[in-house]
Amino acid sequence: MGITRSAISRRSLLAAGAAGAAALAAPALAGCGSPSSADGPVELRVFWWGDDTRATLTDKVLDLYTKRHPRVTFKKQWQGYDGYYDKLATNVAGSSAPDLFQIDEDGLSDFASRHATLDLTSMTGSRINVAKFAGSIGKTGTVEGRRVAIPAAENTAALIWDRTVADKYGAGDLKVGMSWDDFVAWAAKITHASGGTVYGTADPSGYFQVLEIWLRQRGKDTYRGSKLGFTADDLTEWWQFWVDAHGKGATPPADLTHVTNSGDISKDLISTGKGATALEWSNQLAAQAGLTKHTLGITTYPGDTGAAWARASMFWAVFRGTPHAQQCADVIDFLVNDADAGKILGTERGLAVNTAVRAAVKPTLDAAGKQTLDFETRMAGSFGDPPQTPPKGHTELRKTVLITEAENVMYGRKKPAQAAKDFIDQATSILAG
Amino acid sequence: MTVTARPARTRAAARRRPGRARHEGVAGYVFLSPWLLGLFGVTAIPALYSLYLSFTDYDLLTAPNWVGLANYQRMFTTDPHYWHAVTVTAVFAVVSVPLKLAAALGVALLLNRERRGTGVFRALFYLPSLLGGSVALAIVWQAMFGRFGTFNSLLSLFGVHGRAWVNDPDFALGTLILLAVWQFGAPMVIFLAGLKQVPVELYEAAAVDGAGPLHRFWNVTLPMISPVLFFNLVLETISGFQGFTSAFVVSNGTGGPTDSTLMYTLYLYMKGFTDFQMGYASAMAWVFLAVLAAFTAVLFGTGRFWVHYSGGE
Repeated sequence: MGITRSAISRRSLLAAGAAGAAALAAPALAGCGSPSSADGPVELRVFWWGDDTRATLTDKVLDLYTKRHPRVTFKKQWQGYDGYYDKLATNVAGSSAPDLFQIDEDGLSDFASRHATLDLTSMTGSRINVAKFAGSIGKTGTVEGRRVAIPAAENTAALIWDRTVADKYGAGDLKVGMSWDDFVAWAAKITHASGGTVYGTADPSGYFQVLEIWLRQRGKDTYRGSKLGFTADDLTEWWQFWVDAHGKGATPPADLTHVTNSGDISKDLISTGKGATALEWSNQLAAQAGLTKHTLGITTYPGDTGAAWARASMFWAVFRGTPHAQQCADVIDFLVNDADAGKILGTERGLAVNTAVRAAVKPTLDAAGKQTLDFETRMAGSFGDPPQTPPKGHTELRKTVLITEAENVMYGRKKPAQAAKDFIDQATSILAG
Repeated sequence: MTVTARPARTRAAARRRPGRARHEGVAGYVFLSPWLLGLFGVTAIPALYSLYLSFTDYDLLTAPNWVGLANYQRMFTTDPHYWHAVTVTAVFAVVSVPLKLAAALGVALLLNRERRGTGVFRALFYLPSLLGGSVALAIVWQAMFGRFGTFNSLLSLFGVHGRAWVNDPDFALGTLILLAVWQFGAPMVIFLAGLKQVPVELYEAAAVDGAGPLHRFWNVTLPMISPVLFFNLVLETISGFQGFTSAFVVSNGTGGPTDSTLMYTLYLYMKGFTDFQMGYASAMAWVFLAVLAAFTAVLFGTGRFWVHYSGGE
């Protein structure tokens, strides 16, 4: 008995060992799979972040592609934004990354600068048509002259404001082209008129995208190449402006702004009913409208509107190690240039980048979609050139360093000048790699 | 005496049935194989690989380059956040561990008496530690201890104007400590088991000698449960230094507000997965391991002076 038992165990041990070895080898093999033949069936792995709505729409549009090209099927994976890049990074590290994935500026600064995305330069124009892209949106998605990603949709900086609250407290409408001081006065009026139950605006001093617009209005940039495009003096002035705004009553206590610094729109002040604005992106109007019963307005950030630009809300990129590069390019071309695909996707990711698709989509839009499209169409005339793709280290600066130092000022732990100096020191060392 | 006798007997047994013993050895390893696979595949090899990575600039996406001791140098000299994270973690562990153990022992003493419903109370007090490490609980904490949270509503009944607790840099860490202390169920159960082992005669003898409840606790209970106390102390110290989930959830993975909840393991995670500095994160992990090992060794060293093993001579 004893011998039989151990013999079986030995055999299963060998089997287990073999399975283990196979498991170890599998990711390595996946990375260098053979190029697919032109006629064989292909399964592409697609990965994106988003909510249920986005998942349903993306599902539908990819199914349409399979219907037209039965050889190409998809293995779809999606999740929320939190942890999306953690997962993508570990998948790339294990050479088991999805063939086609959604990416934003943060992701490009991390992944494209490290060559984890496929260089699409040679396929742009031939396989991926960019001829009908609106305005300057086609210029986005490049790093050091390489085309690393194709814009999936367009949005622009937008100040969403609570019309119900503004009317209730007699603050009036926010208008395109108002000055920063006008905006602060409007916000202070709401705070005072409501007796402090509703604050005019969250303190945007730690919001990278608001700082970026403000810098562009002063002829500066967030980045120039792999260096900062602004100085400690600019930042001191920026933070001092918001310290003064807080003194006037425009912004809430620091902890309420702190909660909004996560960037989660379900926690911004309009959603929680504690404030009257959200400084966001135009395509988020629909989602924001779903989080409040109030009527919302949409306008530009304060100051010169020429600082805004047609921005890629997100991009499509292809994994460097995919064996199906051409099929991925074809799918991207379909997603951005096909009118039927555009009608399914609507404005959920942002406006269609292809002007012909945008026109075809217009009649199918709901109220929030139309409001977004009207706003962006009205603004398009004054759009400036898009800024460069941020350099390596940008994500850490945007999500950690800027917010921490801005909060040091907000919570009264540092003077603006000190926080600005500390930010520049850290940023310089991070950008130097 | 027995120490020298035992191997001799084994050797004699081996001489008698060499084949059988070898079979048993092989069978033993076979039965261990799932565990061995796990040990080497999931723990040992990756751990050693991370030791190698700690000497590189590995960023997850490109091949690692050897940088020698640069990561360690940066940690100890030029990274201010590193020392900040060390301080936050030390405060968290030094405050939460004694409080948690005191709470566990206190409640265990109360629940040690056999009364009606004691079992129900034991279960209720143990409940939080079942939920303890969970993300859901940290989210509940965030909702309870915000400016408009339940806790402040409760305070306002007494006319007290509360703070923004989890979102206030002065109190955020304290809130996390409270969350940790509240999960005293696991050490409490171990204390209860220890208290059951204390012979009743000792208390009776002490009472006869005129010792009051405090004396009996100090001179009988504490020495008798000192091995259990030691065990809990070591375990809780290690897990105290490793606090991650609550800080991660409450601060949205940033260690905020203003780095006030930037625990060591959270900072390590941010470096590795958010900032793509896996080489640096690996170096942090190895320093952490070394420090924890040193702490545990020191605890074991002091244990000789205060841990009393009855009947162990």
